Amino acid sequence: MSELVVAVDGLIKDYGTFRAVDHVSFSIKKGQVLGLLGPNGAGKSTTIQMLIGVTLPSEGTIRYFGKDFAKHRQACLQRLNYASAYNTLQQHMTVKENLAVFAAMYGLKNPKDKIAELMDYFAVKRLEKQMYRNLSAGERTRVNLVKALLNDPELVLMDEPTASLDPDIADKTLGLVENLRRDRKLSILFTSHNMEEVTRLCDEVIFLDKGKIVSQDTPANHMKRLDQAEVNLHFNGAAAKLDAISADQKGQATFGNTGQATFGNTGQATIKISSKRIPALLAAIHKAGLTVTDIDIRKPTLEDVFLDIARKGRSL
Amino acid sequence: MMPSSWQRLSGLILQELYVTRHRLEIIVDTFFFPLINVILFGYITHFIGTGGALNGQIFIVGVLWWQLLTVMQYNVTVSSMWNIWSHNLTNIFIAPISIGEYLLAGALSSALRTVAIAVLLFLGAWVVFDFDVLSLGWANMGLFTLNLLLFGCALGIAFLGVIFRFGVRIQAISWGAIYVIQPITAAFFPVAVLPGFLQVVAYALPPTYVFEAARQALNTPTVNWRYAGIAFVLNIGYVILSLLLFRYFFKKSKQSGQFARNDL
Repeated sequence: MSELVVAVDGLIKDYGTFRAVDHVSFSIKKGQVLGLLGPNGAGKSTTIQMLIGVTLPSEGTIRYFGKDFAKHRQACLQRLNYASAYNTLQQHMTVKENLAVFAAMYGLKNPKDKIAELMDYFAVKRLEKQMYRNLSAGERTRVNLVKALLNDPELVLMDEPTASLDPDIADKTLGLVENLRRDRKLSILFTSHNMEEVTRLCDEVIFLDKGKIVSQDTPANHMKRLDQAEVNLHFNGAAAKLDAISADQKGQATFGNTGQATFGNTGQATIKISSKRIPALLAAIHKAGLTVTDIDIRKPTLEDVFLDIARKGRSL
Repeated sequence: MMPSSWQRLSGLILQELYVTRHRLEIIVDTFFFPLINVILFGYITHFIGTGGALNGQIFIVGVLWWQLLTVMQYNVTVSSMWNIWSHNLTNIFIAPISIGEYLLAGALSSALRTVAIAVLLFLGAWVVFDFDVLSLGWANMGLFTLNLLLFGCALGIAFLGVIFRFGVRIQAISWGAIYVIQPITAAFFPVAVLPGFLQVVAYALPPTYVFEAARQALNTPTVNWRYAGIAFVLNIGYVILSLLLFRYFFKKSKQSGQFARNDL
């Protein structure tokens, strides 16, 4: 069995009569990236806060590297770290001073070398003498990541680390994180509202809703469960032929019972259909003698799964 | 229909009332400080009016040592506020530090800053007002400093615990609450000027012994070991009490989620 870096068991957080986190249990193996997703108010932030020890759980246990976090807080914290878009470093100090403070607190043996190595890696060496408050959002994110890796952590908790970054900087930052993960077998707990990032980075994704885990699986399996694809067609040919297909679709098993078509007036159709039925749909269109000039098939993404949970509040 | 002038005014007044209700510093700045000033100068006037020997040095001694106390308390509390204002508190507390180490670091750095500021103030008093604080005696200087730093530290830790628990909306206590005890500690006049019940309270506060001893030392620079000892013992009690209070509020803050909210 792979070594567990964190094991969360029966985590509950009550604020008065409101239960923010409700019996949440999960674990992360060495080298695994786990995504924690959910709509606002789902309990993600509270869960993260309990995981880093700034909020106390009402019930449940958190074990890092086999040790009870409540009893061995300092030993656990020495082996993990945290980066968030919402927590910045000390604004009134330079980047280098900030990093030196944390290097001292983590007891690094060669702080200068370590800081220089990580600043080079994240391409922020040129910023070392700048006041932290003068950095751009992208620069802050990368400096925060330098801080989060100073102690060579085995686990990093990343709370929306790329929030407020433009797509290019976010992509580059994520690329650096991917490399780190590969090179160091780093375990990561990752939260983001960007589903593409989550799909790209995470081995497994937990969906939280109303404080409970409603689904836990790989991103691919999550997407398979939501089996509704959308086919956008542009075509030449008599619309009546498409009408026939439509009737076919409604009345015959070829397209299944879930198939449904809406037709525009300009030789365009949008058909919502089970992903598994797409080949049969295309065959029927061909058989009807229609010439398809353009086709766009949009399969379910993690964002669709997220929206489905957020709007319906259902378990998958 | 166009709202009347009174309606528009009432909206703005309502806003002021709401803001005042939520920001303690407004209450402190506009109500509390003037009230304390009135009380303080009332007692000073009473002291002068009852024929007390008006010695200018009494005031300057009081001001100098009072500043040492307030600067220490301010530093202990506000050193953490800088982390809260920078949204850096979570980063600090996810490092493997204990709460004892956190408080001790704050106390030591504050003591260094305070002593440095005190030296500047003493030099300033000597250059500008020809008042040599060393005339109080080196032993007195050390004992006064030690006792005021300890009490400032105790107050600073207690205030910090309260801010962690209730959030930055009450951050004004960092620089305002200490003035509650300014008249009671009799920094600028003898304790005897205070009414009887306030004298009892005054003698429960370590700075009172420092200020009384400092006034005595203006005439004879000998050490009042009794006062120094009582102040030190009281200080140990206040430091222990403040640590217990801080621990309680810190835990409550983490239970209620306020600690995490402080950093957002």
